[in-house]
Amino acid sequence: MIRLYDTIEPNVIDEELLKLAVEEQGPQEEAGQVAKQEGINFKDVRSLQLDFQNILRIDNLWQFENLRKLQLDNNIIERIDGLDSLVNLVWLDLSFNNIETIEGLDNLINLEDLSLFSNRISKMDAMDTLVKLQVFSIGNNMIDNLLNVIYLRRFPELRSLNLAGNPVCENEDYKLFVTAYLGDLVYLDFRLIDAHTREAGFAKYQYSIYELKHRENQMQYKLEEEKANIAELEKHKAAYVEYLNGSYLFDNLYSDDTEAAKLAYLPGVPELLETYKTKFVSICQNIFDYGLIQQEKRTAEVDLFYECLGEALSDNRDLGLKTINEFEKKHVKMLHDIRNANELQVVDAKMSECAEEISHLFDILMTYEMQLVEQLEESINNFERNIIDMVGTFVENVQGLMAQCRDLENHHHEKLLEISINTLEKIVKSEFDEDLPDDVRALFSDKDTVVNAVGASHDIHLLKIDNREDELITNVSNWCSGIVDKVHTDEHNRNRKRVKEINQYIDHLQNELDNLDFGDLLD
Amino acid sequence: MEVLKEKVEEEEAAEREAEAEQAARKAAAEKEESILDRDDLIDLEQKLSEIEVHIPEVPVIFTKSSIDTSALPESYKTNTAQEKQLLKVADNFAHQYSHLCPDREPLFLHPLNECDVPKFVSTTIRPTLMPYPELYNWDTCADFVSDFLTMVPLPSPIQLPEYLFSPTSVLKYQKGNCFDFSNLLCSMLIGSGYDAYCVSGYASQDICLMDLTREVCPLLRKPEEAASQKEKVVPKRYTIKPPKDLRSKFELAQKAKKEAEIAAQEEKKRKEEENKLLELDKPPPDPMHGLRIHAWVLVLCGKREVPESFFIDPFTAHSYGTTDEHFLGIESIWNHKNYWINMQDCWNGCKDLIFDLGDPVRWEFMLFGTDKPYLTMADQEEEEEAADEDDIEILDKEEDKNFDMPLSWVEQIYISAKDFESRCPQGRKVIQYKQCKLEKWAPYLNGNGLVTRLTIYENADCRKVVEVKEWYENREDFLEMRRVDKTTHLTTEYFKPGHFLALREHTYKTMAPETDRSMEFYYDTRVDGLEKRTETPNSMTEYYKDRADYLVYRHVDYGIRLKKFSLNSPDTNPRPMLKITERFDRNLSKLADDDVAERIFVVSDERIQLRYHCRDDYITTSKREFLKRNDVDNKGNKIIMTPDMCVTYEVEPREHTKKLLFQYEMMMNLKNEEKISKHQVWESELEVLEILKTREEEEDTHNLTVSIYDTTRNEKSKGQREALERQAQEEHMRQVEAELDYLAPFLVQLPPGEKLTRWQALRLKDECLNDFKQRLIDKANLIQTRFEKETQELQKKQQWYQENQVTMTLEDEESYLTYCSQAMFRIRILEQRLNRHKELAPQKYLALEEKLYKDPRLIEYLKVFV
Repeated sequence: MIRLYDTIEPNVIDEELLKLAVEEQGPQEEAGQVAKQEGINFKDVRSLQLDFQNILRIDNLWQFENLRKLQLDNNIIERIDGLDSLVNLVWLDLSFNNIETIEGLDNLINLEDLSLFSNRISKMDAMDTLVKLQVFSIGNNMIDNLLNVIYLRRFPELRSLNLAGNPVCENEDYKLFVTAYLGDLVYLDFRLIDAHTREAGFAKYQYSIYELKHRENQMQYKLEEEKANIAELEKHKAAYVEYLNGSYLFDNLYSDDTEAAKLAYLPGVPELLETYKTKFVSICQNIFDYGLIQQEKRTAEVDLFYECLGEALSDNRDLGLKTINEFEKKHVKMLHDIRNANELQVVDAKMSECAEEISHLFDILMTYEMQLVEQLEESINNFERNIIDMVGTFVENVQGLMAQCRDLENHHHEKLLEISINTLEKIVKSEFDEDLPDDVRALFSDKDTVVNAVGASHDIHLLKIDNREDELITNVSNWCSGIVDKVHTDEHNRNRKRVKEINQYIDHLQNELDNLDFGDLLD
Repeated sequence: MEVLKEKVEEEEAAEREAEAEQAARKAAAEKEESILDRDDLIDLEQKLSEIEVHIPEVPVIFTKSSIDTSALPESYKTNTAQEKQLLKVADNFAHQYSHLCPDREPLFLHPLNECDVPKFVSTTIRPTLMPYPELYNWDTCADFVSDFLTMVPLPSPIQLPEYLFSPTSVLKYQKGNCFDFSNLLCSMLIGSGYDAYCVSGYASQDICLMDLTREVCPLLRKPEEAASQKEKVVPKRYTIKPPKDLRSKFELAQKAKKEAEIAAQEEKKRKEEENKLLELDKPPPDPMHGLRIHAWVLVLCGKREVPESFFIDPFTAHSYGTTDEHFLGIESIWNHKNYWINMQDCWNGCKDLIFDLGDPVRWEFMLFGTDKPYLTMADQEEEEEAADEDDIEILDKEEDKNFDMPLSWVEQIYISAKDFESRCPQGRKVIQYKQCKLEKWAPYLNGNGLVTRLTIYENADCRKVVEVKEWYENREDFLEMRRVDKTTHLTTEYFKPGHFLALREHTYKTMAPETDRSMEFYYDTRVDGLEKRTETPNSMTEYYKDRADYLVYRHVDYGIRLKKFSLNSPDTNPRPMLKITERFDRNLSKLADDDVAERIFVVSDERIQLRYHCRDDYITTSKREFLKRNDVDNKGNKIIMTPDMCVTYEVEPREHTKKLLFQYEMMMNLKNEEKISKHQVWESELEVLEILKTREEEEDTHNLTVSIYDTTRNEKSKGQREALERQAQEEHMRQVEAELDYLAPFLVQLPPGEKLTRWQALRLKDECLNDFKQRLIDKANLIQTRFEKETQELQKKQQWYQENQVTMTLEDEESYLTYCSQAMFRIRILEQRLNRHKELAPQKYLALEEKLYKDPRLIEYLKVFV
């Protein structure tokens, strides 16, 4: 429905309009009276109907956080906008508007029913996040490309599609194409797809669909593989030994080192480098394996701790529940007695007895809580000590292994230096008759240059090894302090919460008792 | 029959009672002059109770004279040469045995059979595999034998019987002594592959006389509880330490000491009492202990995956270990192949016996060369010891070198399906156990399907009944078992699944509604998932399972029925409901604070109480109470909802629940739910009434179901089958009729009984063919005349039409037209028939001719011309 702007003034969604709509569509009769007394919070509104309001722009709907159903049909909306906060929306009706492109729906991940009937849309797009979509109506639009239907394959729940009234529908293969490419579709243009059409469509587009499916499967496979890789890396990262299996660290040592690359041209250096590499990599592998084992041990320890914690908490909870249950049974009986008592003295006596019982309950519950706090504190401290010890040994051992790496580097450095100086001497004596690139030969102009070059390379390597070590140690210590902190804060929060709960409950009981008192007096 | 018999017995009992009463009255009348005071009365009662009438037990006798030997086959009455030789061997064997062991009892080697012919015991065993799968295993087999036969005591308890009857006769007369029992059972067990032997030896009095009164009934034996060993929880590293115990340790120790003392005393007392009871239980000493002869069955391990050798007592079908104290000694054992004498000392009963039949020192065999079950290598020393007995062996060996046990003289054992089903003699058996009586019936024998009844008494003298258990089979109402507790007067009925009411258990005192009862249901077959419903006069509790709305429990309290002037039946005046309590399981799709755990409708008080489920880490639960007040405020307006109508405690206060609207809506919902709950309670009450009614009806009719595969009992299928058979017969008759003898009319013309001559035969054939030809022509003519008649009529009609066409009304014209079309149709059909007849006639003629040529009566005369 397209209207001209100059005939009617476009309307704005303002508070008045919303209030009116909410009131009209809210609870009726007695419930309506109650609602009126109290006022309706926009947050509590589940469904809203704003049709035939001549609205141009969707706006001011951010308060309706819990809205499930929104009807904005028969307006003059040009852009889909301002719906970002309506995350819980399940049903959205934007039919009979002037929308040209699909947009602004990315946040509506719960949307199941979407109607864009009778707009000016020419392409189905930008709906990737609406994975729950079941019913989609986009009839009477300007979609002219049949291949655009393939876009809808990404909605696994889509069962009903309305495309009637689009230019594509003039294509004689339109029905067959849609049924073939959207195999799970049950209704097309609000008609049940019969088996015959389905078969015919399938027969016609069999091969292209196979190809499409194959491609989709491959994509899926790739995605999964990537995911698995990432998961593996995450596991290594959790053990703080990522990229230590294999030659990654060694390659890293040489990646920014131009001098080393030049020195590699010297005779004997490649062999030296090769042995160095194998040794280095094997140490790295050691660190890696050790790290994984330690990680397992740490998780086991943490799991054990949480298991014991859970047991202690559930025991305590059972105890509390039992106590309260027993109390409540007694309490109900007592209240009943008080209600039925007819003498004021008896009532007073019973009331005081009841109050005493309540305070007694408070004492018991608090005692349980205090006991638990003490017990848990001991156990938590124990855990803290163990985990810190564990991390300490881990760090120590890793440092030992890293020292081995450094030794290797030093050893390598010495050898390299020796070779370099020998080469220099040979060059000086003009005994060196192998070909060297010019920039390498330039190094051997004098001793200082050579020694400096070798030294620089050595320094870079040491720095990198140190960096890796530091990184590992900081990460693991961070984790350690993090988990200890978390355990402490969790316990603290739990304690606060429980104390609050007990207090609240006792308050409620007392209030109830007091109110009973008033009630009696009134009677 | 059975019922009648029972009635007669009852009447007799009644008569006896009447007599006793009369006697008592006489005694009382004599004393009548003196005024009877209370003590006298009690005295009288005591005296009367001492007077008891015992029916003299007629001992069951099963002797040769009761067997009809006339119909028995020849093998029963005579001995073959081989058998005779075997008897000689046996005699020789017995002579040597008595010579070597003069102080031992004679052997049970060749007793007389029912035809007074001596037969060797091994040949009396007839290994037979029964065609019933139920009889494939030893336990069921033994059960069958013990049920099927009636036990007859040995003529003399300390002497071997003179006769041993064939298993077939024993089966036929369903009676036998222990040797007959063992013989039959052994035949069946060997037939189904067990390594079984008949044993002749000595046993205790209880076993010999089949006295089970000191035995606990097998139905009452409790299954041994699997010892559930609780794994000791190993304290984990971070398990919290228990809070400090601040009580005095000394006091605790003192207390424990005292308790232990008291417990010890009680234990002592209990033990003493137990010992007393045991004393009472012990049988009186038997003067003939150790001399009583008995026969039973030994099953050796090995075959049929029997892990350990054991005895079976054929009377009771109980199995015993080979070291059981009931069995006091073994003389000899035999199977269908050989005979062994026990050479081991039985001073300690059978406890020390070793069943290694291959060991000639322990077991002296009679026939050499049959496969020995074992041959464990005997030690050197034992062989030396055995040297002095070698002479027997050598003799045996010489004689038996190529002598095998002859085949059994007994006919194949056959048990008819009917006998197999009815099991016990006359389908009924009574066994007296310790403090209880077990009665068994064959299925379908009792009209109400009763198959087993167990009566449990208070103590061993069997006077006061404590409990009666009855088992049923094939009941249409699926009743399986009924237990009546005589002390509490509670009846419990157990049902099999399949009944439309889905009833599983029903416990009640009376069948009247609104009394104490408990019904359990097969909840998975019920739509509402009801598992159990218990009732008392003023309450009803229902337990549910696996419901979509998570309801698990509903309890209704009723008030006293208000008196009404109208009809006071429960239908029109239901009991007022005071309170309905409903409990729900946790619905995990809801938050704990929104998931109602318990909901109480206090109908009398117009209150609704809600209690929610507890959150995972909290110890208190949210609660809400609604008071339904329909008040009017001071302006006269109706108060719809005020904050004090709803008392709420929330574990964690939330925003939206404080709203009046929310509370109002919830209250409206609850009001609705209350109505639904009330309705459901009402429906439950109706259901109870209906169940009671149905149960009563079923109990009155007690129909039995018959399997569709049971061809003898299933009346319907029997009728159907008979109808089918009749139909088939009729069909057959009709076919015979249909095949009319085309020669018959011509044969009749000839003089009967004479043989045909060739000329006659030829003429016969020709006449027959001519006749057939004539008939074919006649038929064609007939069709033709009809055709002509039809056409003539049509022509006439056409003529008439043409003449009167002008004056004709529309109706007439129409009728004419329909006539025309019908007539044309008939004409066409006739034409077709004629054509068809013309086509078929020659073929028919030829066919008949061929038939005549092949006719057995004519064939020999006509052959020449073919």
